[in-house]
Amino acid sequence: MVSNELVLGALLALNAVLYASFGFAALRQRRRKVEPSNLMEAFNGLELALKEAVPDLPSGFTWEEALAHLRSSGVKTEAMEDALKSYEACRYGGAPLPDMDYREVVNVANILGRTTPGKRGGGASIGR
Amino acid sequence: MGAEIRDKVVSEVSKVVVGREKETELILTCLLAKGHVLLEGVPGVSKTLVANAFSKCLGLQFRRVQFTPDILPLDIIGGFIFNLKDREFEFRKGPVFTNILLADEINRAPPKVQSALLESMQEFQATVEGHTEKLPSPFMVIATQNPMEFEGVYPLPEGQLDRFMVKVSFDYPSREVEANILKRNLSSMDPNDVRTVVTAAELDAVMREVDDVTVSDDILEYLARMAEATRKEGSLVLGASPRAMVQLLHCSRAKALLDGRRYVTPNDIKTIASEVLTHRLTVDRAAALKGVSRNPEAILTAILDRVEPPR
Repeated sequence: MVSNELVLGALLALNAVLYASFGFAALRQRRRKVEPSNLMEAFNGLELALKEAVPDLPSGFTWEEALAHLRSSGVKTEAMEDALKSYEACRYGGAPLPDMDYREVVNVANILGRTTPGKRGGGASIGR
Repeated sequence: MGAEIRDKVVSEVSKVVVGREKETELILTCLLAKGHVLLEGVPGVSKTLVANAFSKCLGLQFRRVQFTPDILPLDIIGGFIFNLKDREFEFRKGPVFTNILLADEINRAPPKVQSALLESMQEFQATVEGHTEKLPSPFMVIATQNPMEFEGVYPLPEGQLDRFMVKVSFDYPSREVEANILKRNLSSMDPNDVRTVVTAAELDAVMREVDDVTVSDDILEYLARMAEATRKEGSLVLGASPRAMVQLLHCSRAKALLDGRRYVTPNDIKTIASEVLTHRLTVDRAAALKGVSRNPEAILTAILDRVEPPR
């Protein structure tokens, strides 16, 4: 015959395992890498990541201001600048969507996704 | 071609004026956008020198009118003079018939004279006693004014201010620039050293290219939201007029072209908005008394930070 204490202990252990797995899944979801299929989606992902990671950035920010903010935080943006030119030509100039490498945009979005919002005035702490 | 012309003009003007690259670029942007520019600053900060060097390096006809309290509209536009030989009246053109008119210290002249320029600035023509004459193309007024705190000035009315596409503030130079100015002045520096680096044909071609710069519907929507935000701003009595927004649009196109692009980005608009809009905004004095900023530039910056651009 199994004692009540043993059943209770087993249930508690099961509970702990279940909660831990839920927590782990939520954490994975949060850190899930953005996987866009083109340059437009890459910049959309970056915009969302920026808004979440840098709450101090005013809602009227432009891409150039965002890049300047990233540079001041130590992120290298040279590769992104080329991608931005192509993106803007397509977004505002009606140029066809270029078939270009946008990994750097995705990388920065993922870095931002791993950062915690910073305190007022300091911005997010971004490291590479 | 736009970026090339910008570099040539800025470099040539820098030969005789130190540390005014940004201001020179703004004047060029304004010229390409078919606008007029108001230069504001205390005496002796090179406003007139910049205007002079700028017109010289473009090879354009340049005339200067010193505005004084006793100047008459006739002294600017011209008028009918009786020709004794032919025994009839003939129209004698005033200094406004030029490519670049430097209206020096415009706020020293009474409003009647300031208003005499309105038609020329808006419609690129001048009318005297029913006789209308087209002005040469391009035509641009570069006016200078001292800040209002100085005595003996007539503040430009809102309607006149609205005609100026941009207002460029000439602040005192930084210590490094000041030292450079002094060093350069050890030897004689002649404004006549400025060469013509852009031909009239090249300038005309670039001005026509400005009209081909693409502006997406999203950008137009962004401009409209920006205008609405200035008009709804509680600390402003007067927001941006439709004319102001049209001029901001043209100026942004010229800026995009000078930056080597054929399309306008939100950053073009945001970068130049302060120069185009600030002088047209009127701060509510009652709001200012309640502690709200009296500085229209600070109010505009806050508005621009709120209005979300298309990304």
